[in-house]
Amino acid sequence: MGLLSRRAAAFALLALILPILAACGGTPPAAEPVVRETVVVVQTAEPIVVTATPDPDQVVEPTTEGEPADEADEPAAAAPSGAFSTPHPILSDVRVRHAIAYCSNRPELIESVYPFLSDEQKEELLMDTFLPQGHWALATENITTYPFDLERGQELLEEAGWTGEPVRSNEDGDVLALNFTTTNAQFRQTWGAVFIQQMAACGIQVIPTYAPGSWWFGSTTGLARREFELGAFAWVGQTDPAGRTLYACNQIPLPENNWEGQNYMGWCNERASIAITAANNTLDRDERIRQYAIVQEEFTRDMVSLPLFNRLEAYAASNNLVNFRADPTEYYTANAFEWELSDGGDTVVIGLTQEPATLWTLIESAAVQRVVSFLLGVPATTSYTYDFQPFGLTQLSTIENGAAVNEEVEVSEGDTVWNTDGEAVELAPGVEVVTADGETVVYESGTLTMMQLSVTDTWVEGLTWEDGEPVKQADFELAYKIDCDPDSGAVTLAVCRSMADVEFHDDVSYTVTFYPGVQWPTYFSGLLTFYPSHLVLSDGRNLADVPASEWSSLPEVVESPLSSGPYTIESWDKGQRMTLRANPNYFQGEPAVSTIIVQFVADTNQAVAQLLTGEIDVLGSETLGAGTEVEMVIEAGEAGTIQAFVVPSSTWEHVDMNLYRR
Amino acid sequence: MTTFLIRRFVQMFFVTVVAAFLSFILLYLAPGGPIDELRGAQRQNDGMSRVDQTDVQRVRERFELDFYLPFRFSRWLIGWPSGPIFGAIGADWQVGCSIPGQVRLVYPDGRVEIIEEGCEVPLTLASIEDRRVSNGVFFGDFGLSQTILRDRPVMTLIMSRLPYTLSLMGTSILLSILIAVPIGIYSAVRQYSRFDYTMTTIAFIGSSLPSFVFGIFAILIFSILAQRAGLPYLPSGNASGARDWVMPYFGRIEAGSLVDRGLRFIMPVGVLTFINIAGWSRFIRASMLEVLQQDYVRTARAKGVKERMVIIKHALRNALIPFITLLAGVLAALFGGALITEAVFNWPGLGRLFIDALGRHDYNVVMALLFVNVVLLMIGILIADILYTIVDPRIRLS
Repeated sequence: MGLLSRRAAAFALLALILPILAACGGTPPAAEPVVRETVVVVQTAEPIVVTATPDPDQVVEPTTEGEPADEADEPAAAAPSGAFSTPHPILSDVRVRHAIAYCSNRPELIESVYPFLSDEQKEELLMDTFLPQGHWALATENITTYPFDLERGQELLEEAGWTGEPVRSNEDGDVLALNFTTTNAQFRQTWGAVFIQQMAACGIQVIPTYAPGSWWFGSTTGLARREFELGAFAWVGQTDPAGRTLYACNQIPLPENNWEGQNYMGWCNERASIAITAANNTLDRDERIRQYAIVQEEFTRDMVSLPLFNRLEAYAASNNLVNFRADPTEYYTANAFEWELSDGGDTVVIGLTQEPATLWTLIESAAVQRVVSFLLGVPATTSYTYDFQPFGLTQLSTIENGAAVNEEVEVSEGDTVWNTDGEAVELAPGVEVVTADGETVVYESGTLTMMQLSVTDTWVEGLTWEDGEPVKQADFELAYKIDCDPDSGAVTLAVCRSMADVEFHDDVSYTVTFYPGVQWPTYFSGLLTFYPSHLVLSDGRNLADVPASEWSSLPEVVESPLSSGPYTIESWDKGQRMTLRANPNYFQGEPAVSTIIVQFVADTNQAVAQLLTGEIDVLGSETLGAGTEVEMVIEAGEAGTIQAFVVPSSTWEHVDMNLYRR
Repeated sequence: MTTFLIRRFVQMFFVTVVAAFLSFILLYLAPGGPIDELRGAQRQNDGMSRVDQTDVQRVRERFELDFYLPFRFSRWLIGWPSGPIFGAIGADWQVGCSIPGQVRLVYPDGRVEIIEEGCEVPLTLASIEDRRVSNGVFFGDFGLSQTILRDRPVMTLIMSRLPYTLSLMGTSILLSILIAVPIGIYSAVRQYSRFDYTMTTIAFIGSSLPSFVFGIFAILIFSILAQRAGLPYLPSGNASGARDWVMPYFGRIEAGSLVDRGLRFIMPVGVLTFINIAGWSRFIRASMLEVLQQDYVRTARAKGVKERMVIIKHALRNALIPFITLLAGVLAALFGGALITEAVFNWPGLGRLFIDALGRHDYNVVMALLFVNVVLLMIGILIADILYTIVDPRIRLS
């Protein structure tokens, strides 16, 4: 018996361990023999961006708003080869896609998740393109909009050959049924259920799959592998839509390109593709607006991704707090130096659901870190309302005002240039670069003309550290040295790698010259920061002498950094709170509120409870989230207990339509 | 006894290592992780914040994801490998993979697919010589926090939270025992009395509702509604106040004072105690009922022993034997904290830290907490076994 049980135990152990070992490695054998070739180039970053300049004389056929042009036409798409080359039997028909858009009652979807909003507020959340309302690059002309129109949707489906009810089918008897995949978050399940009903009203059967986020957003599953027909998720809008090359033809994730890219729909519209790459290869804002307009026009006409609505962002502040500013693209502490307390109080308590991992901005990008870092530093610029404003800089360092120069330079073999992969490389035969004309060329020999960008940032006079020491040239030099050191722990060094030279002029200005080919769209927003080079550490060393690899563990850097911002760190009780005091040496003057306490509250319910009982004065969107607590806060705001701010978030929900099958 | 202890210690050692290894593997095999997060962020950051292969590689290094799992585990456990053995042996031994290889699969039907397979740049003992490594948990070094308190010792993080968890859990467990045992005894002795029915009902409510429901109700009633009604109220959370506050009829309460801390202690301790009492009192009751029907109890009564003595001396001692098993986990619970209750009341203890660490992929913190829990559970079970011999003369460890 003993022996038997030991064997049983051994088998049980094996049964437990074997699947784990199997999961650790090894590829399941392919059903058919395959030929294996080693790939020479390891490319896990952004795929090659093919740059092209659209023909300036190209005639753009305007499309009447609300009336998609020639719906029977297929999108101007280059037929893909290889995997995902079989057009989706339903979604490849543009009429069906338009029908889905017309059948979607977006105000009703918003109502399902934000029932407490007024009609006006709901209207503000609606999106027609991939850019939110108020964005500087949002196109207003030639955009096809899809107001809720059940009849029009049904008409289009009839035209496309889908008839009958309750669920439509074609003459072959195929049912008009689509899988709808999204995360199992309550928020998406709620509007997803309404979306399914809306489609059913049009005769489209939608079969939902509410998958865990880890699968849907996993690096080798779900969305990344294009395992969906209709797929819902959210993108985060940015002040500069620099990353919007995702709609380009070469951004379609395929097994052939190791699934690189985020064009999950498989949408390849040549005109849009050319325009979006062109928009990312110019620093002329007017030109960029023009190119983005073309993309939005095609995007809405082809309807491969249905923008639904911006999520809601809520902020709450106690009634006595004056000058609180809620904005979708800037942190609310960016103007903390302007806060005042109307009742003469001296302390503001901010609630955060998460504790910053460090106060060193270089190695941490979490929202909670940014909320605190705005209290301790001077940002070069702010980014209110989807645009940039100078703050620490005297002005935005733009080409238009002469602070930046973008000039043509001749390069030849051996020169360091910025290639299309976003790397600084020596120019040699085979290297692909973008020329001054905006053309992508593969270098063979001779000279090429490329654009070279030089930016001179000038910071305001009077910047001072909390100990009264003025900010000086050595501080900028130290920041450049540390931030561009790979041992510092910085996640990305893209900008550093693109810098050919940095020249420091004086205590407030420097010029950065980039390698030929570098054309960062947000070049004007401040390129370097400053660190206290005079700081002496507790162990007697000077901060400037400490190697970058040690910085992330220095208490003087990560826990109690010397402040140049409106507040200084007084204490940080781990897991509980940070206490900050007004900085008398702040260049804008000592803030009116003498103390800010950042209280860490893990649970949103608890945070709201503390807000309502007066223990906390400020809750931002990163703490309130989008759950039921938002409604509670809005109700409290309406009752006059607190100030509640509701703004459309930069995060927007949409439904992608996969045009091809594997 | 000595032989027993030696045998148990050896068993405990192996169980701990196996448990740690399995936890370690499961943790790293779980979907998500820093690389997924990085790629997620990269999806929209192909501007100035774009991430390329070298950036991904640096993050892999920071989280030691470029080590093969067994070596990753051994570095965590004993701080090895940290470079060539004796500075020279095995310099080219491969312990991981810096850059995974890629293979293009060309299928007979013409389809092409690129998959990760093999290793493009191997990680050798020589290449890890300059890497930072902990001494290993076996030598009391839990390494550095990876995300929560980045690059600072995990032990610092744990020690900053431990007093809060010990005070919360210690008080609630002590109160629970002090209250649950008498309730259980009285319910058993007065079976089917009004008191028994009342306690049974309360116990069922306490056992069937999750702790966060009680927490939220408690906050609503004793904090928000009480304050709105102008009554004395309890602060809804935190271990100490951020600033002074005023309680009706009591006046100003200074933030961080003993009174402030005491008042904030009441709700989380109350909720935990209530839940513990609900379960434990039923346990004691059932155990007592069984013992009270035993022959030796009847004999004691027949001999004319006073009822109180029968219950305390003859029945209770025997009824507590199964209860000792229940208490074996107390040691681990003392350290582990109350995951949900700490979150609901914003108590800065280890339970909240554990949840936070899981969500933010701080593997070193998660593993440290799991490891200590396993060790404490082992010790708890050992103590329980030893206690058995004390309370039950029939049991001999030999």
